[in-house]
Amino acid sequence: MGTGGKHHRLALISGVVLGVIGLAAAAAPWLAPYPFDAQDPGRLLQSPGVDHWLGTDRLGRDLLSRLIYGARVSMTLGVSSAVIATLLGIAYGLASGYLGGRTDNLLMRLLDVIYALPDLLLIILLTIVLGRGLTGMIAALSLVSWVTVARLVRGEVLRLKSADYLDAARALGAGHLRIVLVHLLPMMLGPLLVTLSFRIPAAILAESTLSFVGIGLAPPTPSWGGMANDGWAALRFYPHVIIVPSVAIAVTILTFNILGDYLNDRLNPRRASIAGRESSA
Amino acid sequence: MLPRMHETVRRAGWRGVLGLLVFCVSGAVAAAPPPAVLRLSIASEPPTLDWSLATDNVSITVIENLMEGLTAFDDQLRPMPAVASRWDVSPDGLTYTFHLRDDVRWTDGRPVTARDFEYGWKRLLNPATGAEYAYFLYDLVNAYEYNSGRLTDASQVGVTAVDDTTLRVQLKKPIVYFPSITAFVVTFPQRRDLIERYGRRWTDPGRLVTNGPFTLADWRHEYKVVLRANPAYAWGRPSIDEVRMYVINDRSTALTLYETGDLDLVPLPPEAIPFYERSPEFVRVPILRGYYYGFNVTTPPFDDPRVRQAFALAIDKSEFPALLKGGELPTNSWIPAGMFAYNPAVGLAYDPAAARARLAEAGYPAGRGFPAVTAAYNTDPVNTVIAENLQAQWKRTLGVAIAIDNQEWKVYLKRLQTQPPPLYRLGWGADYPDPDNFMALFTSQSGNNHSRWSNAGYDALIARAASTGDPAQRQRLYDDAQRILTEQDVPIIPLFVASQNYLIKPSLHGLRLNAMELLTLKEVSIR
Amino acid sequence: MSGPMNRLAPAVVLMIDRLVWSLPVLWLVATMTFVLMHLAPGGPFDKDKTLPPEITANIEAKYHLDEPVARQYARYLGQLVRGDLGPSYKYADRDVGEIIAEAFPVSIQLGAAAFALTVLLGVGGGMLAAWRPGSWIDRGALLSATLGFSLPSFVVGVLLILVLAHQAHWFPPALWEGPRYIVLPALTLALGPAAYVARLTRASLIDVAAQEYVRVGRAKGLPPGVIWLSYLLKAGLPPVVTILGPMLAVLVTGSFVVEYLFSIPGMGRFFITAVTNRDYPLIMGVTLVYAVVIVAANLIVDLLYGWLDPRMRVGSERGR
Repeated sequence: MGTGGKHHRLALISGVVLGVIGLAAAAAPWLAPYPFDAQDPGRLLQSPGVDHWLGTDRLGRDLLSRLIYGARVSMTLGVSSAVIATLLGIAYGLASGYLGGRTDNLLMRLLDVIYALPDLLLIILLTIVLGRGLTGMIAALSLVSWVTVARLVRGEVLRLKSADYLDAARALGAGHLRIVLVHLLPMMLGPLLVTLSFRIPAAILAESTLSFVGIGLAPPTPSWGGMANDGWAALRFYPHVIIVPSVAIAVTILTFNILGDYLNDRLNPRRASIAGRESSA
Repeated sequence: MLPRMHETVRRAGWRGVLGLLVFCVSGAVAAAPPPAVLRLSIASEPPTLDWSLATDNVSITVIENLMEGLTAFDDQLRPMPAVASRWDVSPDGLTYTFHLRDDVRWTDGRPVTARDFEYGWKRLLNPATGAEYAYFLYDLVNAYEYNSGRLTDASQVGVTAVDDTTLRVQLKKPIVYFPSITAFVVTFPQRRDLIERYGRRWTDPGRLVTNGPFTLADWRHEYKVVLRANPAYAWGRPSIDEVRMYVINDRSTALTLYETGDLDLVPLPPEAIPFYERSPEFVRVPILRGYYYGFNVTTPPFDDPRVRQAFALAIDKSEFPALLKGGELPTNSWIPAGMFAYNPAVGLAYDPAAARARLAEAGYPAGRGFPAVTAAYNTDPVNTVIAENLQAQWKRTLGVAIAIDNQEWKVYLKRLQTQPPPLYRLGWGADYPDPDNFMALFTSQSGNNHSRWSNAGYDALIARAASTGDPAQRQRLYDDAQRILTEQDVPIIPLFVASQNYLIKPSLHGLRLNAMELLTLKEVSIR
Repeated sequence: MSGPMNRLAPAVVLMIDRLVWSLPVLWLVATMTFVLMHLAPGGPFDKDKTLPPEITANIEAKYHLDEPVARQYARYLGQLVRGDLGPSYKYADRDVGEIIAEAFPVSIQLGAAAFALTVLLGVGGGMLAAWRPGSWIDRGALLSATLGFSLPSFVVGVLLILVLAHQAHWFPPALWEGPRYIVLPALTLALGPAAYVARLTRASLIDVAAQEYVRVGRAKGLPPGVIWLSYLLKAGLPPVVTILGPMLAVLVTGSFVVEYLFSIPGMGRFFITAVTNRDYPLIMGVTLVYAVVIVAANLIVDLLYGWLDPRMRVGSERGR
């Protein structure tokens, strides 16, 4: 991407924005002016105003409070599913790449099965079984996105395996575990961090999309996508109900992506900035 | 924002630009529309047009416009002659003989005969059909036995075509409202030859043969159903040529399409009502759909009828219409307005003093010592508003703090069936417009009575009313039963009857919107 | 061996390998969905009104739900082999296969229209940005690409509906009646992928422009038009072309949000209603069709890649 300063500044701004969102998520109970599910039947679908800074939805719930709690849900979901997926992917990728040969071939072909389905579809299938609560959703998201990490890790292992210093380590009698933990893993921290930073917005995007079409997180969990779905029905006369969560989703994903690009440029010089991410749709 | 219409002029300019994208689009490119087309939205795809299998409103609405049965409802929802020109009831009330008109024809020219009815009814009851609404005919002799597999010989079921124009029906017990049941789609005639020839696909456009005002011209699944006027309709060809029913699940989208002139009739979502209430295009129709709270009468504190009465007396139901704004009609009695035996004088009206006294009698003066209970409802904005309002009212009047809890519909339903919560919300929409449909709901053997309340006196009254022909006497029986249900035992608190709100283009005339939520289109004209 | 055979043989080997492998992949997908659907709680026939148990039994017998799971699985696989996806639970009078046969063409039309827009906007935008890297055009294009990439499609769709349908009344907000009705949904669907393609095109072109031979060509004073046509595009576009295959698959299989938003009768919309109604046979059928589309798209990409880039012909890691 662009050179030096501008890019750096953009990443900095994104970091600050994300910090604010993260802080809001962490401090939700103290920050939100109302409980996220408190309904005020006397003030349904109010426009932004003094009592309700961002207005209310069709149950008279404060949109700002729901937005803040929604940040909590999105962040929890994004970060935990990305971390779980990364750990799963590391384990699988290491096993595949390090063991090599037939095992590698078999393990990679198993991945083809998962790759044969669109991510969102697979997530939907899993949530039918795991339930549409927060844990079910996190599990479903993790179970789908570890595949990318596994491929990345395996590729890195194959690249590093033949390196001289590994032979040296082996010659010095280092065990497999030691080789993996001390010599392999630290070498791929950069690409892993980049992947992680792209998995988080991908998870947030997936969840909000599913919630928007009504098959994501089950109410009353305040999810941005679910809020947008509420607003969709009222779009004609009360567009603020859908615009508020939409902006939140867009800003969060945008800043994560900018930050991811930045990390990619810094930590992953071998690859063009595009390569760090998979097509997500 | 007022409805904006007819923007076609401005849109036309874009056709050129869009030429780029035409490369793979099928479908008509805005061909000149036929003279009289009615366009409306339906809330979902009709799951089936096979009237033995239809159970939902959308399917039934479509089928109602394609078919005629033995009887049909008039504006007051009384069953009137249709394919049957008249019917006789035997003195013991157990045998109905329907005499059919001989001039009603299927769209392929064949006359509609009593054999088509016999076949259709037996197909409904055939266990292999797997029809949910088979129980509609359980009152026929041997119908239940045949449907449950205890009897395999269909000829013993109590429906027989004596000849082409005479259909004899034998009942297990006298049922005075039976002609209301024969107005319902599951009892409509069916063509054995076509169903056997085409199998499950006999309802496809081009194959489906009907006898009603319209024929099925096209059916794009999850998208639209197109009906065309039946020129051979025995009661005269409808004045409109075509009806297009678009499947639009989102009412906000439907509303925009109405405003852009793409639809002529839309149901109005509650949040939009304030914007249209004063429009001449706004129409409100009360429907036979009751909304109530039930008690689980087997567990304390609601095992004490005095507590249940106190809860009923404590509700000021006039608050609901102001909250919901959908034209809800508060009610204390259970049989809804618009149905036979409706009696607004029955039931417990709002009386805070009496409510407090009743609760004190039961041992909870000013709500002191009242155990923690939860009111449950299925997730829905209307239900939430009502639950919160009731929570506040009970707190205010009785000093009782109730927790509220909601669940997704299917989960909720499971819970009602296995372990009913102390207080629960439910609704009931009429299957046929007879009080029996509403009152039999709370008899001991009803599968939909989740209150676990059982009263032999009530059961006996409902059974007697079902076979009582004299209207005055029947009214008295239902009044007595309603008193037990809503004043004395109070296993449920009726809250309100719902309305349906529509926007209708002023050019539309003759549309009949009845309380059964069905759209009767045969008399519609567009001017 | 002669030249053409040399070129063909590895491709044929690759194709046979992929074809043979795609069968177990599809079998595993089918089995996985079958297992998942049978683990799922709640049934499709839970209704508002409680049914008499005899009636429930009739319905279960009709759909063979009363049989042991192993037998249901055997029946399911047997049907699949014959190309029969079974009856739908919700749409009582149709087979899953028929529903898909009717809905899939709609999704393909929508996907194809969106694909055309993706190529137009993506490749065009990428070339525009790569014309002068670092210029304001480039920065603007990059920013809009990042934005397009980050906006969920439902947000894009809602914005388009609000502005172009509700306010301007240029396009209808829903339905599927002709060309006028395809613009907003196709645009909504295309924006994210177009942003991705634009970034890829730009990166690839800039990469090629930095190569030794291009710089030599420039130094020799070749006109920019020649440089672009014979160097940049020739070497820079193949990576873009190979991404377009999976992109088409993504567009065809990823349209459910758009179909939901615009009331379009495509497969995605059926899939959503199937999920809400727990219509398991339909869910399994749609899943399988999507899997076939993606496996086929990957197969084509592998072949295309082998053809476009001789170095990649055999044995190397698969292009994904």
